[in-house]
Amino acid sequence: MGKQPKTPEPERRTTRSAASISPAPTPSKPSAPPKTPEVSSSLRHLLSGFPGRKSQILDLIRLIGPLNSPSLPLLLYGNASTGKTSTVLKVLEHLNRPFVYVSCRSCHNPRILFETVLSQLGSSHKQCKKMPDFLNYLREALAERNKEMVFLVFDSIESVRSWDTGSKVLSLLLTLYDKLQNDGAGLLYISRSTPDAYLLRFGSFQPIDLCFPDYTFEEIHSILMRNQANPKLYSSFLSVVLKPFTRVTRRIDELASALDPLYKKYCEPLTDSTITPDEAMKRRLFDYVQPHLIAALNQTFTIPPRALKDKSGIKRQGSGIGNATGLRELDFHMSVSAKYLLISAFLASRNPATLDAALFDSTGGCVGRKRKRKSSQSSIDKNNTKAEEMLTKGPGTFPLERLLAIFQCITSVLEEDSSLNEEKALENSIGLMSDVLLQLSTLCNSNFLCKSGNCPLEGSVRYRSMIDEDMALKVARSVNFPLSNYVYRR
Amino acid sequence: MAGSVQASVALVQLRERLCSRTFAHSLLQSSSDSNFRKLKFHISSSISSACSKVLLLRGDKGSGKAAVVELVLKDLKAEHPDAISVVKLYGLLHNDDDNSALEEIARQLCSGHEFSFSKTASLEENKEFLMDMLKEYGLARKTVVFVLHEFHLFTQGKQWLLYTLFDAMETFTSQSIIIVGLSCLEGSEQQLEKRVRSRFSSCTLLFGPPSEEDGRRLLEQLLHLQKDSSLPSKYVVEFNSRLHKIFSDKKFKEILSSFACADGSINHLLRFLFVASSYMDMESGHLSLQSFESAYSLMKRQPKFDSLHDLSILELYFLVCMHRLQCKEETSYNFNSVMKEYKAIQDAYRTSDNYSHAVCLRAFEHLLDRELISFTDAKGRNDSIRFRPVKLLVSSRELHDSLKSNPSCPAILQKLLDHESYM
Repeated sequence: MGKQPKTPEPERRTTRSAASISPAPTPSKPSAPPKTPEVSSSLRHLLSGFPGRKSQILDLIRLIGPLNSPSLPLLLYGNASTGKTSTVLKVLEHLNRPFVYVSCRSCHNPRILFETVLSQLGSSHKQCKKMPDFLNYLREALAERNKEMVFLVFDSIESVRSWDTGSKVLSLLLTLYDKLQNDGAGLLYISRSTPDAYLLRFGSFQPIDLCFPDYTFEEIHSILMRNQANPKLYSSFLSVVLKPFTRVTRRIDELASALDPLYKKYCEPLTDSTITPDEAMKRRLFDYVQPHLIAALNQTFTIPPRALKDKSGIKRQGSGIGNATGLRELDFHMSVSAKYLLISAFLASRNPATLDAALFDSTGGCVGRKRKRKSSQSSIDKNNTKAEEMLTKGPGTFPLERLLAIFQCITSVLEEDSSLNEEKALENSIGLMSDVLLQLSTLCNSNFLCKSGNCPLEGSVRYRSMIDEDMALKVARSVNFPLSNYVYRR
Repeated sequence: MAGSVQASVALVQLRERLCSRTFAHSLLQSSSDSNFRKLKFHISSSISSACSKVLLLRGDKGSGKAAVVELVLKDLKAEHPDAISVVKLYGLLHNDDDNSALEEIARQLCSGHEFSFSKTASLEENKEFLMDMLKEYGLARKTVVFVLHEFHLFTQGKQWLLYTLFDAMETFTSQSIIIVGLSCLEGSEQQLEKRVRSRFSSCTLLFGPPSEEDGRRLLEQLLHLQKDSSLPSKYVVEFNSRLHKIFSDKKFKEILSSFACADGSINHLLRFLFVASSYMDMESGHLSLQSFESAYSLMKRQPKFDSLHDLSILELYFLVCMHRLQCKEETSYNFNSVMKEYKAIQDAYRTSDNYSHAVCLRAFEHLLDRELISFTDAKGRNDSIRFRPVKLLVSSRELHDSLKSNPSCPAILQKLLDHESYM
């Protein structure tokens, strides 16, 4: 989410992929002076496509300059979804300049990056692994173009830093201008990080920075107003919701996805969606939408109500454990044994291993457990520091054996509880113990558990539970498991 | 109509000058104590006396080391045709494994003599080829110049290439092998290994920013249009006289001096003039003071302040919370502890900005994305970001200024930042 800068055009995806095949300008057409009426009308069209980006577009056109004139490297930086990529691509398209676009985010290693650039330039070299080869092949490919200017656009160069040999590749990309001497290549870098992040890597010519600031409140408003069927109604909607939402986030992609369902809610009481609202109706609609507004402010994504409705077939049959009152708010699309596994993983992560024997003794649970509470100042301090540590260090790790032991204990408690029906309990335990390892790998894949490296002493894989206490409690409630009895409180 | 065509022709001329790596330095080469003359003297003397030499050029990035080397070699090649061959190497590219450097040397020597170059040649073969070539050059009384860009990177690691070259210089005493190292780091020769340093003796040329006098001369020669160009002479005279007026303007001098204070190197000046020339008014085809002013304002942006200015209120809350944790001398903190602080503030003041965990986590991710905060531990542990310790990359002063300049910032936030304790 939010990877791509947002533009209002719905067909943008196709534009970008089509743009990667560099459109060669027709040689018959001489360099068009920028003031002919036809060009300026297409410029107006370009500007109207990007509200709030007027000065950036004009600066960019100026810096790119007349056809086939050399250009210093440019660095466009700005936060996510401020329209960097789409602006550059549209401007280059508008000026009808050949260009090569490569995003360092979709190329995850240098080889793919190099080969993408070379293949778009029509180089005969299909394989390119090393940086020296890349430079030589690039020079060859550019020399074949006979000084015809081509722009190399490197998008999201900040992600190169996380590659294995990233710092070297980044240095190469940023010093390309020094190394490609008068070869007719214009360099455009697009980055989310500010130029400060690259200061040490620049070559002798530091790129010219062009800032894409976040949209202001008015610009956000005008962007959201685009392509609306009923602008009057939508504007009255925005006047209610936009202020509180911009306090939370000012990213246009997140705002758009959050406001969309809310607007549907807003329109619900209306029978006619083309209506022009008057003052009284605005007030009525505001009263209607207000409770939804607060809920929407506090969530990052919405689950469409349809997904919650059909929950038949989610609960495993049998068991007789989960009664309907337990799952009022949320149902988990998860088998019972997976739930137990999740609970045991949570316990294993939360409790110290030394306490396992005490908690899961033969009587099961620590129902009758009583401990003397010391309340001296030192012990309170100690507890506080431990809680602090817990907060910063996160959940602990555990080996597989411990998880399985706890899992077995929990399920055996379960058997005792439901000993009324002996046969069923037996069936249950068999059902629960089968495929545990399969369930475990499912939980790992869905990021509820994570493998956290090998233990240096034992050499076995250790796991870590990633769920927080609220979630664990909810899971426990859905299977009627008394989780709080087992959690060790300091 | 004709005016705008003229303007774009003039603009292309200007851009070609400003983007050229060597043009500006070629303007300065005539002065008597220029590095151009020194370097040319060193190289030509060692060519004529057939002795080997190591030259180190040191200066800041963009001070024109590579340009001067290029100009000198171009001059010398014209004076001694067919007697010099040049090999250019980059520390960034040709230092990771030993063969890449020798392979590149072999490739450049081959292309100079139209030998066929084999990419699959082994390290030994390439080395043998280099030695053979040097022997041949010695017999033919030819000079080889190795230009080592990013010299400080060659001094890292095993320094195998430097050893090979220095060793060759000692072996072939009767001919001249010249090594020119370009470095922007002080003391890169101190890092040489013992066996390399024992074969190393060099003379160093220092590169600095141009003097004020040179700078002014450069400015005029870079921007003035030539009379004999394809442009109509009336336009050229008009253009140049307008430039003259701008140069003598007091405001322009102010801009230029404050600009040179930040970075006085030639390439920095070229960048500035490039931006200014792209602000040329295409209707009239003339540069105005305003184009210099807007270029200056484009180039003096402060990215961090901009990105602080763009934050939402919730994100500001998080920065303030982290700053408070820092003031309480917490050694390390992560999302959970910052969240605890945030909730404590919300409980104490009951503001309207009390948001849920998920939304706060997203705001936290935004801050990470903007690189206003960063993780302190190395990546690799597959932890969720809630538990990884973070640090603040914003100073309290920057935070203070940004809160002040933000019109929608709640007063309580300002107060929380100013008075560290709220209980």
